[in-house]
Amino acid sequence: MNSVLQGRYAVTMDMWPLQSADFNRIHPFYDHLRQGRLTTTKCRDCGRQAFPPRVICPGCLSENLEWVDLPVTGRVLVATEEEVGVPVGFESPLIHALIDLGGQIILFARVKGCSTGELKEGDEVRLVVFPVDPLPVDGRKGETILQERVFFAFEKV
Amino acid sequence: MRNVCVIAGGQSQWGVRRATLRDMFQEAGKACFEDNPAVTNKDIDGLIVGSAYTERCSFQTHLAPLVAEHLGIKPKNLCLRVELLCATGSSGIMLAYAMIKAGEADVVMVIGGEKLYTPQRWEVNYSELASVDHDWDGAMGLGLPPPVFAAVAKQHMKLYGTTEEQLAMVSVKNRRNGLNNPKGQFREEIALETAMSARPIVRPMKLFDCCPVTDGAAAIILAAEDRAKHLTDKPLVYIRGTGQASMHNMSANFSNWTTWESLKVAAQQAYAKARVTPRDIDVAQTHDCFTISEIIEYEDLGFCRKGEGGYFIQEGKSDFGGQVPVNTDGGLLSCGHPFGATGIRQGIEIMRQLRGDAARQVEGARIGLTHNLSGFIAAHTVVIYGRDLE
Ligand SMILES: [Zn+2]
Repeated sequence: MNSVLQGRYAVTMDMWPLQSADFNRIHPFYDHLRQGRLTTTKCRDCGRQAFPPRVICPGCLSENLEWVDLPVTGRVLVATEEEVGVPVGFESPLIHALIDLGGQIILFARVKGCSTGELKEGDEVRLVVFPVDPLPVDGRKGETILQERVFFAFEKV
Repeated sequence: MRNVCVIAGGQSQWGVRRATLRDMFQEAGKACFEDNPAVTNKDIDGLIVGSAYTERCSFQTHLAPLVAEHLGIKPKNLCLRVELLCATGSSGIMLAYAMIKAGEADVVMVIGGEKLYTPQRWEVNYSELASVDHDWDGAMGLGLPPPVFAAVAKQHMKLYGTTEEQLAMVSVKNRRNGLNNPKGQFREEIALETAMSARPIVRPMKLFDCCPVTDGAAAIILAAEDRAKHLTDKPLVYIRGTGQASMHNMSANFSNWTTWESLKVAAQQAYAKARVTPRDIDVAQTHDCFTISEIIEYEDLGFCRKGEGGYFIQEGKSDFGGQVPVNTDGGLLSCGHPFGATGIRQGIEIMRQLRGDAARQVEGARIGLTHNLSGFIAAHTVVIYGRDLE
């Protein structure tokens, strides 16, 4: 439809992160997601665990980091249901919850697969990983390569 | 260090505009110069332009020289753009203040604006995914996030007994005050029952608990005191102190959802620099992006004790005639919220209140405050203005 772009994909309008090693130094996070693992980086020098994952430690600025696993199940502290103004690409109602992952970290995350009024405080939720739009990338011979991508949310147990 | 005064201010019409970003910058610049005919575009030696979504919605970078060219300004000391999403306008005022105070510029226009309505409406909500941490919170579908403020409200209600009716009272007050700004987006009063029975956006946030999406621009002129004395015959309004703080960005690092620690830090810095206390504030424009925000701001700005924000609105303490009238021109809930312009609109209203020529005047106001929050409640910006230096 767009005559100038001739159907080309403008990544600047892309809501998903760039995930491959070509574009992102924390690409292992997404590899781990494909294995059903929710991970982040921890500093081998000062012990600080940060989220989201980093390339330097926000405590001591060390680059000596390792990947560690976070719990993949958690408990709902607060749930919200967005009924109006949901961004394109998301279901309505769009449900979010403040989720306590085993006392290690609290995430405000999307909860998929619940109908209105279904998700309650105290409910248990678990990690769910799903494919998202692949990323078109220029190949060496001018061809377009589609890089697969994933993202995560939670679902009621 | 030099003293810095605010000598003029004006805004474009705000709302769903049939105009481009540059159209509205021209309207705001003209309105600003018309507020004080003693200052002209030839007097401006510095220009600071604020816009958060200029690349996103107008596909335009390098905005400051473009705006200078359209307003006939030829800045020689500074010409640049600032961005801090919802606090962009106040950030521009802070920067202009510091540059003038340090002697690096004499007369600076700060102009901010946003064109948010794109021809297809889906893009408006979609664009907002750039507002929070794009790779983490944005990918969870959080834009300029009503869900975040709904989660804040639920926790505040549980902890402190704040009620939906108290939330609605904020929108009723600010809609009434919106009659004081002829260029605001909404100029209709609403009844408490209307606010209480409105359709839910994210419960407990209903339609009137949320500020709208807005196109618009606003401009203000700051000058060194010695120049200001020659450039205005109105009472001088000084900037007394500023503070800006951030302690997290992504949701996972937001340690306290109901006490906004970085707001308390920014406010303490601004109060200390201005040598005033919360009790000294005669009039305030705070960031009422959602009704719950204004209630928490009463508390964390120190207008009342923690947890008593709901009673503060219920007892009329933030209304005209109360302890500290808040959002006297209608705030974001009435005027709308073009990110780059909001802090400037707040500054203009405080300037008018302290000059004594506001549309609806807080009698005898001599000290005023503006506050913005931005992003995932991730940064707070406070500016204190005064008729006096001590
Ligand atoms: Zn470290």
